[in-house]
Amino acid sequence: MGLLDTIRQALGLAAEADATRAADPEDLFALSTAYVTMEAELDYEPAGEAALCFSGVDSTAFAAARDEVDAVLDAGEAETGTAFEFRTDAHGYDWVVLADEDFEDLVTSAHFAADTMIEAGFGSRLLAAAFAFDHTRTGATGYWLYSFRRGSYYPFVPSGGRERDSSAEFKLESVLDGELTVEDDKGYWYPLWPEGDAYPWGRPLAAERERETN
Amino acid sequence: MEWKADWGLRGRMFLTMFLLFALYIVFVGAMAVFFPGRIFPILVVMTLFLGAQFLFSDKLALYSMGASEVSEEEYPRLHATVSRLAQQADLPKPKVAVADSRVPNAFATGRSRKSSAVCVTTGIMDTLTEEELEGVIAHELAHIKNRDVAVMTVASFLSTIAFLIVRWGWLFGGGRDRGGNQAPVIVAIVASLVVWIVSFLLIRALSRYREFSADRGGAVITGKPAALASALLKISGKMDQVPKEDLRDQAEMNAFFVIPIKSGVVGRLFSTHPSTEKRVERLQELERELETQ
Repeated sequence: MGLLDTIRQALGLAAEADATRAADPEDLFALSTAYVTMEAELDYEPAGEAALCFSGVDSTAFAAARDEVDAVLDAGEAETGTAFEFRTDAHGYDWVVLADEDFEDLVTSAHFAADTMIEAGFGSRLLAAAFAFDHTRTGATGYWLYSFRRGSYYPFVPSGGRERDSSAEFKLESVLDGELTVEDDKGYWYPLWPEGDAYPWGRPLAAERERETN
Repeated sequence: MEWKADWGLRGRMFLTMFLLFALYIVFVGAMAVFFPGRIFPILVVMTLFLGAQFLFSDKLALYSMGASEVSEEEYPRLHATVSRLAQQADLPKPKVAVADSRVPNAFATGRSRKSSAVCVTTGIMDTLTEEELEGVIAHELAHIKNRDVAVMTVASFLSTIAFLIVRWGWLFGGGRDRGGNQAPVIVAIVASLVVWIVSFLLIRALSRYREFSADRGGAVITGKPAALASALLKISGKMDQVPKEDLRDQAEMNAFFVIPIKSGVVGRLFSTHPSTEKRVERLQELERELETQ
């Protein structure tokens, strides 16, 4: 890694190489068991929502890949009851929002969607998977974000405005490190700020669905 | 998503670096043969001086542009853009700085990934659409990723020394000893002059190739080559009204070269950036590749 990296930098290839590096979804599944610890030891329970964030590409092939994800999730909705929706946020990034009361189904659906994208050849466009948790006492929302670029999780607890609750993040990191592969370089703990007082992907999907059916 | 590698660009970059390296080896050898022993303590001092300049380069660059670091609260959108592009590029989020200037410009500083900063002017934020600005920021992140500040500093180190010898070398000649033989010193100064001129051209070539590289890197990070191309066209349209290069840079070179710098082959050899048309052309190739892969 070291020498090859240096050569890449010297020849000006590092940016290109790393931006197109394949996604690493391997450790994504770990959260489908680790959430039990979140509940038992940290008083965080799943909020029932998760989302995949990706940066779109301006091409027909990418649009086709997006349709494929749509088809896969549609089939999944019939089977597991995971609701989903495609959204574009204020920064022009795309989201697949997922809602399911069963946390394991939520992780599975996220994994399916990511896999479909990777198989279509666009894994390098996947930025992160975000899983929302609510603190049962304070009501604060915390997230586990999975970086497909680095194949690791990191905690993200926004605390109003553009501040992060670093002590809560530290607690999440120290308790779940081991059960999850936690990114150890904090330089890579990129925030995904919530839009308004909702989630980073906007309003909760479950609530919207309810409004539609009423 | 696979992108076709640009082997021509890689080859030219490698060749330029190889030639520069070979030139420097010859230069150091020539100095060791021709120059009196006294020069070496001076070399050590120069190395320390240039090393210090390298260490403070990030702060110097920001300071000279009148830029200051901005917080998430002040520029939430800019921060969000930088943060997401950094994530795509697999780079720790750099510092974000803004310079209050109407000239549409952006640059990246920092000798390492950890100490780097991306700076944009208020002018560029007013001029470009969000997508175009994203393209420009991705281009700057590609510079950080490729460690261009470090590479260019190392590449120009001996060139700077050669230049200093051309200017101050006579001080180390015979001095008070009138009868002393001046010949080696003169040879050394002439050799340094040749090295300085040739390395200068090579460094400029290297700089242009790295711009192309950063364009490619930026386009691959955003996945939107066309947005960067249109940003470049917009900026260059505005830039024509504003002189780009420091007056002193030009004056220093004009002392050695009588041919006007701005035009023709010589102008191209001297510029640190490739022409906008060439860059846009390359980006269009990438855009085509996107649709036809």
